[in-house]
Amino acid sequence: MTKLEIYDPAMCCSTGVCGPEVDPVLVTFAADLKWVAEQGVAVHRYNLGQEPQAFAANPAVVKEMEAGMDRLPIIAVDGHIVSTGVHLSRDQLAAKLGLAAGGKPTASCCSPKSGCC
Amino acid sequence: MDHTRTLFFTGKGGVGKTSLSCATGLALAEAGKRVLIVSTDPASNLDEVLGTPLGQTPCAIAGAPGLFALNIDPEAAAHDYKERMVAPYRGILPAAAIASMEEQFSGACTVEIAAFDEFAKLLGDPAATLGFDHVIFDTAPTGHTLRLLTLPSAWTDFIASSTGGASCLGPLAGLEKQKALYAATVAQLSDPATTTIVLVARAEVSALREAERTRHELQDLGVRNLRLALNGVFAAGQTGDDVALAMEGRGRDAVAEMPAGLSLLPRDQFPFLPRGTVGLDSLQSLFRPAPAFVPSPEPFAPGRLPAGLVPLLDDLEAAGHGVIMTMGKGGVGKTTMAAALAVALAARGHKVVLSTTDPAAHLAATMAGEASNLCVARIDPEAEVARYRDEVLAKAGASLDESGRAMLEEDLRSPCTEEIAVFRAFARTVEGGKDGFVVLDTAPTGHTILLLDAAEAYHREVLRTQADMPDAVRNLLPRLRDPSFTRILIVTLAEATPVHEAERLAQDLGRAGITPYAWVINQSLLASGTAHPLLAQRGRYEMAFIRKVSDELAPRTALVPWQADVPVGKTGLLRLVR
Repeated sequence: MTKLEIYDPAMCCSTGVCGPEVDPVLVTFAADLKWVAEQGVAVHRYNLGQEPQAFAANPAVVKEMEAGMDRLPIIAVDGHIVSTGVHLSRDQLAAKLGLAAGGKPTASCCSPKSGCC
Repeated sequence: MDHTRTLFFTGKGGVGKTSLSCATGLALAEAGKRVLIVSTDPASNLDEVLGTPLGQTPCAIAGAPGLFALNIDPEAAAHDYKERMVAPYRGILPAAAIASMEEQFSGACTVEIAAFDEFAKLLGDPAATLGFDHVIFDTAPTGHTLRLLTLPSAWTDFIASSTGGASCLGPLAGLEKQKALYAATVAQLSDPATTTIVLVARAEVSALREAERTRHELQDLGVRNLRLALNGVFAAGQTGDDVALAMEGRGRDAVAEMPAGLSLLPRDQFPFLPRGTVGLDSLQSLFRPAPAFVPSPEPFAPGRLPAGLVPLLDDLEAAGHGVIMTMGKGGVGKTTMAAALAVALAARGHKVVLSTTDPAAHLAATMAGEASNLCVARIDPEAEVARYRDEVLAKAGASLDESGRAMLEEDLRSPCTEEIAVFRAFARTVEGGKDGFVVLDTAPTGHTILLLDAAEAYHREVLRTQADMPDAVRNLLPRLRDPSFTRILIVTLAEATPVHEAERLAQDLGRAGITPYAWVINQSLLASGTAHPLLAQRGRYEMAFIRKVSDELAPRTALVPWQADVPVGKTGLLRLVR
């Protein structure tokens, strides 16, 4: 079974409503992870504020954090880091996991005009 | 009054929850019962009130056979919890990671849940209170906490998966073990055979409004066994003293106009005590007919008192522009102070924007048009929260299933959400501080500032989006930290709990690198010049708190007398700054 791990920054709430602007990415991302799990992937999501042991136990993750806290969130597939600093979209997750993209399309990782995707 | 085994006293800070808990406990003990009083109020002065040093296990109260008490500080519990969570990772995770973890445990939610955890340990475990006929708590869980704990998705999402979960539950580990205990605790709270919740209020509009809000929230949760306790009811008696007559009249009006739902509750009334409620003798007097009042025979010289608002106003004016924020718990008069300073600055010829969250808004209404260079903007917290809530649900709710949506909606009812929503609204107003004065009757807590700061860094550096952060918010954060641009005034009263709460606000701002510019002690009877024996006695009692603020806590202090005429309108407000 493929394993997907997400190492999130310490967040007050996983829905992001505590930020100065709603972050639809966070809410959509949670829904996307649910979809990924339904495709038979084992999903583990760790919040630095709540599950620091998961971070400390992974030297590659600690190394990334030492390079800068902006590396969070870190996403790993079967123990290999596949992205840093972004919550991937459903299509991107599907690609990293080798799944057929499907279901409801989701927001991309950032606003369209920023051009980072 | 026939007492249930468990009693909770709830109400806003300074209304006398601890005093009434102790007085009730004492009366029951004198009737031959074994009584345990439990304080989970971080501002508790239970030790002082009962005259016995207390710890975390039941301790017999000297001079009151059958009466026991224990003191639990949920902030200490939250702090211990934070240390347990963070300490093992110091030196293992980078310092920045440790700092961001620590901030997650510094919010109101952690303390609130830590307090509930303490209730649950005592209520949910019969062995913990075995042998007591009555258990009295001087605080009660909030509606937000209770709702969170009754949401099935709060538990299942948080425990079963790691993809979601309620923000405010996050800080507690081992939740699964607690689930049954919490469920039993919530059930017991709504059982009228075992539990009474006493809403404590003063005969004041704001305290009664708060009590009504709580009543409504609890009733919606199925908690029906409620009583109202009116504390500090003042009777002037035969007197010509303006202050005494005004105080009596204001209390009478507030009670006459109390919300209908509240007025239908069974009601107990407790008298105004001139010497506070420290010590068993004072507590007994709450339940007994008052003996004729004998003023202290010793002469009283207050010494030098802090100045009024005028020197403070002079210094604020000298800057020529900038943001002035008044900050304090509800009912201390931060709106009145903000309005008085705004009117006075406008009267001196400055361009002033006064931004208020005062729900009554009568203040704003009475001033409109009275001063041409004063502009009054109102921030309605309810409207801001509703707008924010709609925005979030529209943006984010669509992709969620029913339980996820319920979770998101409850997150939106957390105290943090209101603070964020209001913060966004007044961020827009603060822009104006470049050109003139902006006076605000609300200020974000240190926790909010740190969260927003972290969020800003997160958005800017991580997501690299420009669109998500409103410019007003982006500019606001550095401005709040600039002492030459923003001046925060902490407003408090010369009483134990308000001073303690103000001290905590100041500490919280300190964490965000902000030092208050000054403290304002409002509604001082000592400064009012009253000659009424009871009120003058109460004025003497204020002295220790005035000293504590001016000597220990505040970089500078202004003392504002209690006003016989309600300070509204331009004339009324200018009287405060004279």
